[in-house]
Amino acid sequence: MHELWQASQHAMVLLFTGNRDLWEIIGISFSVSLKAIVIATPAAFAAAFVLAYTRFRGRGVVMSIMNTSLSLPAVVVGLTLYLLLSRSGPFGDLRLLFTQTAMTIGQVILAFPLVFVMSHSAIQSGQRAAWETALTLGASPIRAVLTVLYEVRFGLIAAVIAGFGRIVAEVGSSMMVGGNIAHFTRNIPTAIALETSKGEFAQGIALGFVLLVLAFGLNIGLSLMQRKGGVAA
Amino acid sequence: MYRLMTLVLGAALALTSSIAGAATPLRLATTTSTDNSGLLDVLLPKFKKATGISVHVIAVGTGKALRLGANGDVDVLLVHAPPAEMKYMHAGHGVNRRKVMYNDFVIVGPASDPAGIKGGKDAVKAFEAIAKHHATFVSRGDDSGTNKKELILWKDAHIKPSGKWYRAAGQGMGKVLQIAGELNAYTLTDRGTWLAYEDKVPLKILVQGDARLFNPYHVIAVNPNEYPDVDYTGAMQFIAWLTSVPGQRAIRDYRLHGKQLFHPTAITKQ
Amino acid sequence: MKPMLSLTGIHKRFGARCILDNVDVHLAPGQCQVLTGRNGAGKTTLLKIIAGLERPEAAQVAIDGNERGWRRARSALRRDVVYLHQYAYMFDASVEYNVGYGLRAARLPPSQRRARVAEALERIDLLHLAGANARTLSGGERQRVALARAWALQPRVMLLDEPTANMDRESREQTWFLLRRLKSDELCVVVATHDGHAIATLPDIELHLDNGNLFPHAVDTHSHRPTPGPVATGSAAGPRLEERG
Repeated sequence: MHELWQASQHAMVLLFTGNRDLWEIIGISFSVSLKAIVIATPAAFAAAFVLAYTRFRGRGVVMSIMNTSLSLPAVVVGLTLYLLLSRSGPFGDLRLLFTQTAMTIGQVILAFPLVFVMSHSAIQSGQRAAWETALTLGASPIRAVLTVLYEVRFGLIAAVIAGFGRIVAEVGSSMMVGGNIAHFTRNIPTAIALETSKGEFAQGIALGFVLLVLAFGLNIGLSLMQRKGGVAA
Repeated sequence: MYRLMTLVLGAALALTSSIAGAATPLRLATTTSTDNSGLLDVLLPKFKKATGISVHVIAVGTGKALRLGANGDVDVLLVHAPPAEMKYMHAGHGVNRRKVMYNDFVIVGPASDPAGIKGGKDAVKAFEAIAKHHATFVSRGDDSGTNKKELILWKDAHIKPSGKWYRAAGQGMGKVLQIAGELNAYTLTDRGTWLAYEDKVPLKILVQGDARLFNPYHVIAVNPNEYPDVDYTGAMQFIAWLTSVPGQRAIRDYRLHGKQLFHPTAITKQ
Repeated sequence: MKPMLSLTGIHKRFGARCILDNVDVHLAPGQCQVLTGRNGAGKTTLLKIIAGLERPEAAQVAIDGNERGWRRARSALRRDVVYLHQYAYMFDASVEYNVGYGLRAARLPPSQRRARVAEALERIDLLHLAGANARTLSGGERQRVALARAWALQPRVMLLDEPTANMDRESREQTWFLLRRLKSDELCVVVATHDGHAIATLPDIELHLDNGNLFPHAVDTHSHRPTPGPVATGSAAGPRLEERG
């Protein structure tokens, strides 16, 4: 108990005195995860819209694949991506292994199903009348899509928040394809794993605290959005 | 609102296209024990000062480090598992293997010492005693250099460790020391990690100084004939510097908690 | 009076069920048509096809006498025809935004757009609610905003799908009153409704949809209006009319 208290105190000192290494790790985490969510979101929205508004053969298969990938473990994504990006793998020539880009790709894969499934249910909960009203008032299909998305914006924002929350805390894929390289691919979760294994609990706690605050903030945002979405629907 | 969404989409695209590769630094795969000891934090800045090359360290178990080399995912290896290294060299995955340094392993355990191995100099005898008393032993169980060394010692003692007293953790050295501390168990650890944990776990060094516990490190360049675009020149510069007088001196002078951890072996007379 | 819009030979089925079987519709400017029929007879489907929102299995479309393929016709229909849902859908924004939506899509300059929105809101006596969120309005108010929203676009055809369903009498009468006020010589209005009062007072032509076929119906005898002009008929229904008679 005493040790935990001491480490926590040290952690706060590290955080609030602007320890450079620590904030660099936090910066890498945000840079990678924000890029990933920014890439995954438009694709997921577009796919969710198509699935919600069109009927085609194999639609059910796509839905169940997506629902299954919700529980895709990060390490499995990491391992698969490692094998693909390795020099001896099919995409080895891209030289992406152990780069932030590889971490971003892994997180895009992890974020996509979650953002897709949540935004799909948000779009589906919206009324088809919104789509028809936009079209009959002369909106182009693209504008009509944006209108429909805007109508369910709280649900969509909730989807993005949930997706970001998932990837910013995942360790399996980042460790595997990022390699936890100091100052380069070391993000919050891999640093926590490393610092803990080195017995440097203060650093681990400081970073864990950042994740905790982040998760707390995201959850507040999420429930806020879901409540608003519930009222608007 | 339409405009806002276009703006967001545009920003998304701009961000996406900004992901571009930077100049690729030298990639070194090494073991967690080397990295965790803090030695590389001293060596690599000196290497960069001498050559201008920055190094990305990927710290994994020795087994995985060799695998990364065989796959061409790194340029150079710094590892400590001679039999596995020899296999790796024979398979043609590496060139120019050089001795760099050694540190040593120690057997640690609870102060109560139920197997009565304290003060011994023979690692194999100590393992025999632990097995005989069915005293709890925590193994790395992760195919790391330390794990390989441990398995060789069991083999030398003609014991196939199994049963409730033998726990394979599948974790890094630090974690294993923590687990051993919690379980009042014995374990084999490298001295570097031990020094970092000495104050944090209720364990003591019980056996040390056996020649079989020496832990030699070698540096190996990944074979450029297998993967033409590995950074072979960088790897050779790294090997050259590590085995040069300044490199060896830096290894000798490194102190953790006031104690020397690594003994240079590339140049024996200094 | 020449029809500006003709859809002939409309076929539509949902699965095995045939909703519309070779139906013809002719629409002329300044005209008001009332569409009647049982629930589920296909009134909504027919209106949505005319609005270019639903795709028929077959149909020939002529706009101002020019035949068009479905793809080109569809964009013309979406531009010239406005469909109003039974329960008006309000975008989650102000009344002003809702009424200006189509004008924004048509890239009308903001100053003109504001003027047109104000004019439309004035016509339906809701100028005082311009800043309110449209989702907070009552059902009757929503229907009026939807009317203004359509009218602001100056469409050639307005299709109203049961606009007074589930409304109290006062709102119903107000809706019909406003619709009459919005009518003009250029605009063609088609209303699907069960409301006897509207059927009696509003239309030039009444059409009855039954069993996938469209029957022209003379307006009731007690109506003060004369019998309809020859513009709109259900051609397939012609012979059947005799059978019925």
